[in-house]
Amino acid sequence: MDARRARFEAQVLPHLEAAYRFARWLAHSRTDAEDIVQDAVLRAFRGFEGLRSGDARAWLLSIVRNCHANAYQQHKRRAAVPLPEEGDAQSAHVMVASEPDPESLTMQRDDERTFERLLGELSQEHREVLALRELEEMTYREIAEVTSLPVGTVMSRLARARTALKELWLKETEGEPSGVR
Amino acid sequence: MACAEALRVQAYFDGELDDAAAAQVQRHLGSCADCRALVQDLERLRTAIRRDLNPVASPQLRTRVAQALDAQAPAQVTALRVRAPRNRSFWLGALSGVGGSALAAAVLFVLLSPMLGSALQEELVSAHLHSLLPSQLIQVESSDHHTVKPWFAGHADVSPVVADFSGAGYRLIGGRADAVDHQRAAVLVYQHGAHVINVFSWEAKRGGVARESTRNGYHMIFWTDADLQYCAVSDTGWNELSALVRLIREQGVREAHP
Repeated sequence: MDARRARFEAQVLPHLEAAYRFARWLAHSRTDAEDIVQDAVLRAFRGFEGLRSGDARAWLLSIVRNCHANAYQQHKRRAAVPLPEEGDAQSAHVMVASEPDPESLTMQRDDERTFERLLGELSQEHREVLALRELEEMTYREIAEVTSLPVGTVMSRLARARTALKELWLKETEGEPSGVR
Repeated sequence: MACAEALRVQAYFDGELDDAAAAQVQRHLGSCADCRALVQDLERLRTAIRRDLNPVASPQLRTRVAQALDAQAPAQVTALRVRAPRNRSFWLGALSGVGGSALAAAVLFVLLSPMLGSALQEELVSAHLHSLLPSQLIQVESSDHHTVKPWFAGHADVSPVVADFSGAGYRLIGGRADAVDHQRAAVLVYQHGAHVINVFSWEAKRGGVARESTRNGYHMIFWTDADLQYCAVSDTGWNELSALVRLIREQGVREAHP
Protein backbone atom coordinates (compact mmCIF):
# COMPACT_ATOMS: atom_id res chain seq x y z
CA MET A 1 0.00 0.00 0.00
CA ASP A 2 1.46 3.34 -0.96
CA ALA A 3 1.82 6.22 1.47
CA ARG A 4 -1.00 8.27 0.01
CA ARG A 5 -3.42 5.39 0.34
CA ALA A 6 -2.27 4.75 3.90
CA ARG A 7 -2.77 8.39 4.80
CA PHE A 8 -6.22 8.35 3.22
CA GLU A 9 -7.17 5.23 5.17
CA ALA A 10 -6.01 6.79 8.43
CA GLN A 11 -7.65 10.18 7.94
CA VAL A 12 -10.78 9.59 5.91
CA LEU A 13 -11.88 5.96 6.16
CA PRO A 14 -12.60 6.16 9.90
CA HIS A 15 -15.53 8.33 8.86
CA LEU A 16 -17.01 5.67 6.59
CA GLU A 17 -19.63 4.88 9.20
CA ALA A 18 -20.70 8.54 9.38
CA ALA A 19 -20.72 8.71 5.58
CA TYR A 20 -23.03 5.71 5.40
CA ARG A 21 -25.36 7.01 8.12
CA PHE A 22 -25.66 10.31 6.31
CA ALA A 23 -26.11 8.71 2.87
CA ARG A 24 -28.70 6.36 4.31
CA TRP A 25 -30.68 9.31 5.61
CA LEU A 26 -30.46 11.15 2.34
CA ALA A 27 -31.11 8.25 -0.01
CA HIS A 28 -33.53 6.30 2.11
CA SER A 29 -32.60 3.01 0.56
CA ARG A 30 -29.70 0.85 1.59
CA THR A 31 -28.39 0.01 -1.87
CA ASP A 32 -28.58 3.62 -3.04
CA ALA A 33 -26.78 4.71 0.11
CA GLU A 34 -24.01 2.15 -0.45
CA ASP A 35 -23.55 3.27 -4.05
CA ILE A 36 -23.36 6.87 -2.92
CA VAL A 37 -20.78 6.08 -0.24
CA GLN A 38 -18.59 4.17 -2.67
CA ASP A 39 -18.79 6.99 -5.18
CA ALA A 40 -18.02 9.55 -2.48
CA VAL A 41 -15.01 7.65 -1.11
CA LEU A 42 -13.50 7.34 -4.60
CA ARG A 43 -13.99 11.04 -5.26
CA ALA A 44 -12.53 11.84 -1.88
CA PHE A 45 -9.53 9.66 -2.67
CA ARG A 46 -8.93 11.37 -6.01
CA GLY A 47 -9.31 14.79 -4.44
CA PHE A 48 -7.52 13.97 -1.22
CA GLU A 49 -5.02 16.81 -1.69
CA GLY A 50 -7.95 19.20 -1.27
CA LEU A 51 -8.31 18.20 2.35
CA ARG A 52 -5.16 19.76 3.84
CA SER A 53 -5.58 19.94 7.58
CA GLY A 54 -9.34 20.52 7.68
CA ASP A 55 -12.03 18.44 9.28
CA ALA A 56 -12.00 15.12 7.41
CA ARG A 57 -15.49 14.13 8.50
CA ALA A 58 -17.17 17.38 7.39
CA TRP A 59 -15.23 17.17 4.14
CA LEU A 60 -16.28 13.57 3.41
CA LEU A 61 -19.91 14.28 4.30
CA SER A 62 -20.01 17.26 1.96
CA ILE A 63 -18.80 14.95 -0.82
CA VAL A 64 -21.49 12.40 0.12
CA ARG A 65 -24.01 15.20 -0.14
CA ASN A 66 -22.84 16.13 -3.64
CA CYS A 67 -22.83 12.51 -4.78
CA HIS A 68 -26.34 12.09 -3.53
CA ALA A 69 -27.46 15.24 -5.35
CA ASN A 70 -25.97 13.84 -8.58
CA ALA A 71 -27.55 10.44 -8.10
CA TYR A 72 -30.86 12.07 -7.27
CA GLN A 73 -30.81 14.11 -10.48
CA GLN A 74 -30.13 10.99 -12.55
CA HIS A 75 -32.78 9.15 -10.65
CA LYS A 76 -35.34 11.84 -11.41
CA ARG A 77 -34.47 11.67 -15.08
CA ARG A 78 -35.15 7.96 -15.07
CA ALA A 79 -38.36 8.68 -13.16
CA ALA A 80 -38.08 5.45 -11.26
CA VAL A 81 -40.14 4.90 -8.16
CA PRO A 82 -38.12 3.92 -5.10
CA LEU A 83 -39.37 0.84 -3.31
CA PRO A 84 -38.82 0.26 0.38
CA GLU A 85 -36.40 -2.55 1.03
CA GLU A 86 -36.84 -5.39 3.43
CA GLY A 87 -33.83 -5.89 5.62
CA ASP A 88 -33.48 -2.16 6.13
CA ALA A 89 -35.43 -2.30 9.33
CA GLN A 90 -32.93 -4.76 10.72
CA SER A 91 -29.86 -2.79 9.79
CA ALA A 92 -31.48 0.38 11.06
CA HIS A 93 -31.87 -1.05 14.51
CA VAL A 94 -28.49 -2.45 15.29
CA MET A 95 -27.47 0.57 17.32
CA VAL A 96 -30.78 1.23 18.98
CA ALA A 97 -30.49 1.98 22.68
CA SER A 98 -31.82 -0.90 24.71
CA GLU A 99 -33.39 0.90 27.63
CA PRO A 100 -35.55 3.86 26.67
CA ASP A 101 -36.14 6.29 29.51
CA PRO A 102 -39.70 6.73 30.77
CA GLU A 103 -40.12 10.00 28.89
CA SER A 104 -39.24 8.52 25.55
CA LEU A 105 -41.75 5.76 26.18
CA THR A 106 -44.48 8.25 25.45
CA MET A 107 -43.16 8.22 21.90
CA GLN A 108 -42.60 4.50 21.63
CA ARG A 109 -44.84 2.83 19.14
CA ASP A 110 -45.48 -0.70 18.01
CA ASP A 111 -44.14 0.06 14.60
CA GLU A 112 -40.55 1.02 15.22
CA ARG A 113 -40.16 2.18 11.66
CA THR A 114 -42.56 5.03 12.23
CA PHE A 115 -39.82 7.59 12.49
CA GLU A 116 -38.04 6.24 9.49
CA ARG A 117 -41.22 6.62 7.48
CA LEU A 118 -41.97 10.07 8.86
CA LEU A 119 -38.49 11.18 8.02
CA GLY A 120 -39.05 10.08 4.44
CA GLU A 121 -41.86 12.60 4.27
CA LEU A 122 -39.58 15.47 5.19
CA SER A 123 -37.89 17.49 2.47
CA GLN A 124 -34.28 16.80 1.57
CA GLU A 125 -33.20 20.12 3.11
CA HIS A 126 -34.85 19.25 6.39
CA ARG A 127 -33.59 15.68 6.49
CA GLU A 128 -29.95 16.58 6.05
CA VAL A 129 -29.74 19.20 8.79
CA LEU A 130 -31.53 16.89 11.20
CA ALA A 131 -29.19 14.01 10.40
CA LEU A 132 -26.08 16.13 10.84
CA ARG A 133 -27.28 17.61 14.11
CA GLU A 134 -28.96 14.65 15.81
CA LEU A 135 -26.90 11.70 14.60
CA GLU A 136 -23.55 13.22 13.74
CA GLU A 137 -23.86 15.67 16.63
CA MET A 138 -22.29 18.42 14.56
CA THR A 139 -22.22 22.06 15.62
CA TYR A 140 -24.09 24.63 13.51
CA ARG A 141 -20.75 25.69 12.09
CA GLU A 142 -19.84 22.15 11.03
CA ILE A 143 -23.29 21.68 9.48
CA ALA A 144 -22.79 24.95 7.60
CA GLU A 145 -19.49 23.58 6.30
CA VAL A 146 -21.05 20.36 5.02
CA THR A 147 -24.10 22.01 3.44
CA SER A 148 -22.42 25.23 2.21
CA LEU A 149 -25.09 27.26 3.97
CA PRO A 150 -24.67 30.30 6.22
CA VAL A 151 -24.87 29.44 9.93
CA GLY A 152 -28.03 31.52 10.35
CA THR A 153 -29.75 29.49 7.64
CA VAL A 154 -28.66 26.26 9.31
CA MET A 155 -30.26 27.47 12.52
CA SER A 156 -33.60 28.45 11.00
CA ARG A 157 -33.73 25.42 8.76
CA LEU A 158 -33.10 23.15 11.72
CA ALA A 159 -35.97 24.80 13.57
CA ARG A 160 -38.31 24.35 10.62
CA ALA A 161 -37.21 20.74 10.16
CA ARG A 162 -37.94 19.95 13.78
CA THR A 163 -41.33 21.63 13.65
CA ALA A 164 -42.19 19.72 10.48
CA LEU A 165 -41.13 16.39 11.99
CA LYS A 166 -43.07 17.08 15.16
CA GLU A 167 -46.21 17.89 13.17
CA LEU A 168 -45.89 14.71 11.12
CA TRP A 169 -45.48 12.78 14.31
CA LEU A 170 -48.51 14.42 15.94
CA LYS A 171 -50.60 13.58 12.88
CA GLU A 172 -49.38 10.01 13.09
CA THR A 173 -50.42 9.56 16.71
CA GLU A 174 -53.66 11.51 16.53
CA GLY A 175 -56.83 9.57 17.23
CA GLU A 176 -54.91 6.60 18.56
CA PRO A 177 -56.42 5.06 21.69
CA SER A 178 -54.18 6.10 24.53
CA GLY A 179 -54.16 2.65 26.11
CA VAL A 180 -52.44 1.03 23.12
CA ARG A 181 -48.90 1.98 24.06
CA MET B 1 -47.46 29.65 18.35
CA ALA B 2 -43.76 30.22 18.76
CA CYS B 3 -42.27 32.63 21.26
CA ALA B 4 -39.82 35.17 19.84
CA GLU B 5 -37.08 33.43 21.81
CA ALA B 6 -37.70 30.04 20.18
CA LEU B 7 -34.60 30.12 17.97
CA ARG B 8 -32.40 31.04 20.89
CA VAL B 9 -33.97 28.30 22.98
CA GLN B 10 -33.14 25.84 20.21
CA ALA B 11 -29.55 27.12 20.10
CA TYR B 12 -29.42 26.65 23.88
CA PHE B 13 -30.71 23.09 23.51
CA ASP B 14 -28.05 22.40 20.88
CA GLY B 15 -25.32 23.73 23.15
CA GLU B 16 -24.51 26.63 20.81
CA LEU B 17 -24.73 29.47 23.34
CA ASP B 18 -21.99 30.90 25.52
CA ASP B 19 -22.47 30.88 29.28
CA ALA B 20 -23.98 34.37 29.49
CA ALA B 21 -26.54 33.76 26.76
CA ALA B 22 -27.33 30.32 28.16
CA ALA B 23 -28.04 31.87 31.55
CA GLN B 24 -30.44 34.35 29.92
CA VAL B 25 -32.27 31.52 28.19
CA GLN B 26 -32.48 29.58 31.43
CA ARG B 27 -34.11 32.60 33.09
CA HIS B 28 -36.49 32.89 30.15
CA LEU B 29 -37.43 29.22 30.45
CA GLY B 30 -38.40 29.88 34.04
CA SER B 31 -41.13 32.24 32.88
CA CYS B 32 -42.17 30.89 29.45
CA ALA B 33 -44.28 27.74 29.35
CA ASP B 34 -44.19 27.65 25.52
CA CYS B 35 -40.42 27.47 25.48
CA ARG B 36 -40.35 24.85 28.22
CA ALA B 37 -42.66 22.75 26.06
CA LEU B 38 -40.38 23.41 23.09
CA VAL B 39 -37.35 22.06 24.95
CA GLN B 40 -39.33 18.98 25.86
CA ASP B 41 -40.33 18.44 22.22
CA LEU B 42 -36.75 18.86 21.05
CA GLU B 43 -35.61 16.32 23.61
CA ARG B 44 -38.27 13.80 22.56
CA LEU B 45 -37.54 14.14 18.87
CA ARG B 46 -33.83 13.70 19.54
CA THR B 47 -34.44 10.59 21.63
CA ALA B 48 -36.72 9.06 19.00
CA ILE B 49 -34.38 9.85 16.12
CA ARG B 50 -31.37 8.40 17.89
CA ARG B 51 -33.35 5.35 18.91
CA ASP B 52 -34.97 4.55 15.58
CA LEU B 53 -32.64 5.85 12.95
CA ASN B 54 -29.11 4.69 13.34
CA PRO B 55 -28.16 2.71 10.25
CA VAL B 56 -24.86 0.85 10.43
CA ALA B 57 -22.64 0.21 7.43
CA SER B 58 -22.40 -3.44 6.46
CA PRO B 59 -19.03 -5.25 6.34
CA GLN B 60 -19.74 -5.77 2.63
CA LEU B 61 -19.69 -2.02 2.09
CA ARG B 62 -16.26 -1.79 3.70
CA THR B 63 -15.00 -4.56 1.45
CA ARG B 64 -16.53 -2.92 -1.60
CA VAL B 65 -14.94 0.40 -0.81
CA ALA B 66 -11.54 -1.20 -0.20
CA GLN B 67 -11.76 -3.02 -3.54
CA ALA B 68 -12.79 0.12 -5.35
CA LEU B 69 -9.77 1.90 -3.89
CA ASP B 70 -7.52 -0.98 -4.95
CA ALA B 71 -8.86 -0.66 -8.48
CA GLN B 72 -7.74 2.95 -8.74
CA ALA B 73 -4.98 3.02 -11.34
CA PRO B 74 -1.65 3.68 -9.63
CA ALA B 75 -0.79 6.07 -12.48
CA GLN B 76 -3.53 8.40 -11.29
CA VAL B 77 -1.97 8.53 -7.91
CA THR B 78 0.72 11.06 -7.25
CA ALA B 79 2.50 9.61 -4.30
CA LEU B 80 2.98 12.15 -1.60
CA ARG B 81 5.81 11.92 0.81
CA VAL B 82 4.46 11.38 4.26
CA ARG B 83 6.54 12.91 6.96
CA ALA B 84 8.18 10.31 9.13
CA PRO B 85 6.78 10.27 12.63
CA ARG B 86 8.85 12.42 14.91
CA ASN B 87 11.31 10.43 16.88
CA ARG B 88 10.15 11.17 20.35
CA SER B 89 12.58 8.96 22.21
CA PHE B 90 15.46 11.00 20.81
CA TRP B 91 14.02 14.19 22.26
CA LEU B 92 13.20 12.52 25.53
CA GLY B 93 16.78 11.32 25.68
CA ALA B 94 18.03 14.83 24.98
CA LEU B 95 15.73 16.18 27.64
CA SER B 96 16.88 13.75 30.32
CA GLY B 97 20.49 14.45 29.39
CA VAL B 98 20.10 18.05 30.48
CA GLY B 99 20.17 16.69 34.02
CA GLY B 100 21.33 19.24 36.57
CA SER B 101 20.43 22.42 34.81
CA ALA B 102 16.87 22.96 35.90
CA LEU B 103 16.61 26.19 33.99
CA ALA B 104 17.71 24.62 30.75
CA ALA B 105 15.34 21.77 31.35
CA ALA B 106 12.50 24.18 31.98
CA VAL B 107 13.28 26.10 28.80
CA LEU B 108 13.55 22.91 26.83
CA PHE B 109 10.33 21.63 28.27
CA VAL B 110 8.50 24.77 27.22
CA LEU B 111 9.97 24.41 23.75
CA LEU B 112 9.22 20.73 23.55
CA SER B 113 5.84 20.51 25.14
CA PRO B 114 3.80 21.62 22.12
CA MET B 115 5.53 18.99 20.08
CA LEU B 116 5.17 16.28 22.69
CA GLY B 117 1.57 17.29 22.98
CA SER B 118 1.13 16.97 19.25
CA ALA B 119 2.71 13.51 19.13
CA LEU B 120 0.62 12.49 22.10
CA GLN B 121 -2.56 13.63 20.39
CA GLU B 122 -1.59 11.68 17.29
CA GLU B 123 -1.05 8.63 19.49
CA LEU B 124 -4.39 8.99 21.26
CA VAL B 125 -6.37 9.39 18.06
CA SER B 126 -4.72 6.36 16.52
CA ALA B 127 -5.38 4.38 19.71
CA HIS B 128 -9.01 5.49 19.49
CA LEU B 129 -9.19 4.43 15.84
CA HIS B 130 -7.47 1.14 16.55
CA SER B 131 -9.98 0.46 19.30
CA LEU B 132 -12.84 0.75 16.80
CA LEU B 133 -11.60 -2.30 14.91
CA PRO B 134 -13.70 -5.36 15.66
CA SER B 135 -12.57 -7.17 18.82
CA GLN B 136 -10.13 -4.42 19.85
CA LEU B 137 -12.54 -2.21 21.73
CA ILE B 138 -13.20 -4.06 24.92
CA GLN B 139 -11.27 -6.52 27.03
CA VAL B 140 -13.51 -6.50 30.06
CA GLU B 141 -17.13 -6.17 29.10
CA SER B 142 -19.29 -4.69 31.78
CA SER B 143 -21.31 -1.71 32.82
CA ASP B 144 -20.62 -2.56 36.44
CA HIS B 145 -17.85 -0.50 37.97
CA HIS B 146 -17.33 -3.20 40.61
CA THR B 147 -16.11 -5.50 37.83
CA VAL B 148 -14.16 -3.03 35.71
CA LYS B 149 -12.24 -1.27 38.45
CA PRO B 150 -10.57 -4.37 39.95
CA TRP B 151 -9.77 -5.59 36.44
CA PHE B 152 -7.75 -2.42 35.84
CA ALA B 153 -5.83 -2.97 39.06
CA GLY B 154 -4.36 -6.12 37.56
CA HIS B 155 -3.90 -4.91 33.99
CA ALA B 156 -3.19 -1.20 33.79
CA ASP B 157 -1.26 0.08 36.84
CA VAL B 158 -3.77 2.87 37.32
CA SER B 159 -7.04 3.13 39.13
CA PRO B 160 -9.17 5.75 37.41
CA VAL B 161 -12.69 6.89 38.20
CA VAL B 162 -15.00 4.14 36.92
CA ALA B 163 -18.71 4.81 36.71
CA ASP B 164 -21.64 4.19 34.43
CA PHE B 165 -23.75 7.19 33.40
CA SER B 166 -26.52 5.45 31.47
CA GLY B 167 -29.04 7.78 33.06
CA ALA B 168 -27.38 10.68 31.28
CA GLY B 169 -27.00 8.79 28.00
CA TYR B 170 -23.42 7.56 28.50
CA ARG B 171 -23.40 3.83 28.90
CA LEU B 172 -20.23 2.24 30.22
CA ILE B 173 -19.73 -0.75 27.95
CA GLY B 174 -16.37 -1.92 29.25
CA GLY B 175 -12.68 -1.28 29.55
CA ARG B 176 -9.32 -2.32 28.22
CA ALA B 177 -5.62 -1.89 28.94
CA ASP B 178 -3.58 0.14 26.47
CA ALA B 179 -0.28 2.00 26.32
CA VAL B 180 -0.13 5.78 26.13
CA ASP B 181 2.95 7.95 26.34
CA HIS B 182 5.10 4.85 26.99
CA GLN B 183 3.04 3.94 30.02
CA ARG B 184 0.35 1.47 30.83
CA ALA B 185 -3.03 3.10 30.60
CA ALA B 186 -6.57 2.21 31.56
CA VAL B 187 -9.26 2.88 28.97
CA LEU B 188 -12.95 3.15 29.74
CA VAL B 189 -15.29 2.71 26.81
CA TYR B 190 -18.60 4.53 26.72
CA GLN B 191 -21.39 4.33 24.19
CA HIS B 192 -23.27 7.55 23.48
CA GLY B 193 -25.90 7.21 20.75
CA ALA B 194 -24.05 5.89 17.71
CA HIS B 195 -20.71 7.08 19.04
CA VAL B 196 -17.98 5.38 21.00
CA ILE B 197 -16.03 7.45 23.50
CA ASN B 198 -12.67 6.22 24.77
CA VAL B 199 -11.53 7.68 28.10
CA PHE B 200 -7.79 7.09 28.55
CA SER B 201 -6.09 7.50 31.90
CA TRP B 202 -2.44 7.14 32.84
CA GLU B 203 -0.04 8.39 35.47
CA ALA B 204 0.68 12.10 34.97
CA LYS B 205 4.46 11.98 35.14
CA ARG B 206 5.42 15.13 33.29
CA GLY B 207 2.91 17.42 34.91
CA GLY B 208 -0.63 17.35 33.69
CA VAL B 209 -2.13 18.62 30.48
CA ALA B 210 -5.49 20.37 30.42
CA ARG B 211 -6.74 21.40 27.04
CA GLU B 212 -9.14 20.66 24.24
CA SER B 213 -8.20 19.92 20.68
CA THR B 214 -9.37 18.33 17.47
CA ARG B 215 -7.49 15.97 15.17
CA ASN B 216 -8.94 14.67 11.92
CA GLY B 217 -12.44 15.33 13.16
CA TYR B 218 -11.88 13.64 16.51
CA HIS B 219 -12.30 15.78 19.58
CA MET B 220 -10.04 15.38 22.59
CA ILE B 221 -10.42 16.73 26.09
CA PHE B 222 -7.47 16.42 28.48
CA TRP B 223 -7.71 16.91 32.20
CA THR B 224 -5.97 15.75 35.36
CA ASP B 225 -7.37 14.41 38.59
CA ALA B 226 -5.45 12.98 41.55
CA ASP B 227 -2.11 12.32 39.79
CA LEU B 228 -3.81 10.83 36.77
CA GLN B 229 -3.87 12.30 33.30
CA TYR B 230 -7.17 11.72 31.52
CA CYS B 231 -8.09 12.15 27.89
CA ALA B 232 -11.53 11.58 26.35
CA VAL B 233 -11.51 10.96 22.57
CA SER B 234 -14.47 10.66 20.22
CA ASP B 235 -16.10 11.84 17.00
CA THR B 236 -19.10 12.88 19.04
CA GLY B 237 -19.87 16.61 19.35
CA TRP B 238 -18.02 18.93 21.71
CA ASN B 239 -20.97 19.39 24.01
CA GLU B 240 -21.62 15.68 24.23
CA LEU B 241 -17.97 14.96 24.97
CA SER B 242 -17.59 17.69 27.59
CA ALA B 243 -20.81 16.58 29.30
CA LEU B 244 -19.23 13.15 29.86
CA VAL B 245 -16.00 14.74 31.10
CA ARG B 246 -18.03 16.79 33.56
CA LEU B 247 -19.81 13.67 34.84
CA ILE B 248 -16.52 11.84 35.34
CA ARG B 249 -14.92 14.78 37.13
CA GLU B 250 -17.91 15.19 39.41
CA GLN B 251 -17.75 11.50 40.17
CA GLY B 252 -14.05 11.92 41.00
CA VAL B 253 -14.86 14.68 43.46
CA ARG B 254 -17.53 12.52 45.09
CA GLU B 255 -15.12 9.59 45.45
CA ALA B 256 -12.41 11.81 46.93
CA HIS B 257 -14.77 13.38 49.47
CA PRO B 258 -17.41 10.82 50.25
